Amino acid sequence: MSGSQTPNDGELVVRARRGDERAFGQLVERYRRAAYAVAYSVTGRQEDAEDAAQESFLVALQRLDECRSPERFAGWLMTIVRNRSRNLVRRESLRETDQVPLSASTRSPTPDRDAERSELQAALRDALGALPDVQREIVLLHDLEGWKHREIADRLNLPSGTVRSHLHFARRALREALSGQETVEERRRSSP
Amino acid sequence: MSRNWTTPGGADDDEARDVGVASALGFLDPASRDPGFWMRFQARVLQGAAPELARRRLMADLTVGDVLTGWARALVPTAVLAAAVAALVLIRLTPAPLPATVEDLLTAGIQTRTIPEALHESEAAASVAFATERF
Repeated sequence: MSGSQTPNDGELVVRARRGDERAFGQLVERYRRAAYAVAYSVTGRQEDAEDAAQESFLVALQRLDECRSPERFAGWLMTIVRNRSRNLVRRESLRETDQVPLSASTRSPTPDRDAERSELQAALRDALGALPDVQREIVLLHDLEGWKHREIADRLNLPSGTVRSHLHFARRALREALSGQETVEERRRSSP
Repeated sequence: MSRNWTTPGGADDDEARDVGVASALGFLDPASRDPGFWMRFQARVLQGAAPELARRRLMADLTVGDVLTGWARALVPTAVLAAAVAALVLIRLTPAPLPATVEDLLTAGIQTRTIPEALHESEAAASVAFATERF
């Protein structure tokens, strides 16, 4: 083990394999937000994303011996998250004939400011829902979780150029959606 | 909410976070509505992981001696039991008597009377005269 204060993923995985709760806790803390973001990008629902992300950590622990490159734990974990989330969506869609889309947010009557915010969020959900899965995942990991291109490329096993390209198109789509929403709001304000 | 979405901070600098998009996406972070969300998330995962972590600790603590002792603990009684059963079976079986002499070997399986038998009988009955004539 290296003497550094923050052990790398490989070291934590090796310790977690031996049942070190602290090491496993550090892995969870390090990747819980990313796992949630990836799960959300697949399920489109916050409750489902939470369930899928939690389950994925437990599955990852059970299969930790199958992680052949402990230093690439994050990419391996994200694959589990993606698969668990897809399974969850499949199960849900079998249960419900009309699956709630990404854009289906709770829209309760709210005061003006809240209503405005809620519309903006709905527009953003719509725009996110319209993105291809990989673009949605990348923009959430980059702009919400703050992962760098290199980290995303490395952990999702994608070429760096592909990551940049996906991010560029995803951002453009989101900005268009957001500016469209703003135009609607401005028009509403200016109307008598 | 009047933000200039078309010119967000660092929008064209791919490596930087797009501040506009990032802040707009902020509502997706569960902690934005529930500050204790991630703590509870962490606690739930660790609670669910506790049995598996305990199993792994137990496996990691086992030494070669423990493994061998564990084997012996199961193996010795099984071997003793198997030996006892085998002994019982051997005792109960009445093995066929083995032929002891060359004659026995030569006459084994012959249904009719054999010369050794005839000789034996004649010895028991009386003396047998093979020659009647005397010189």
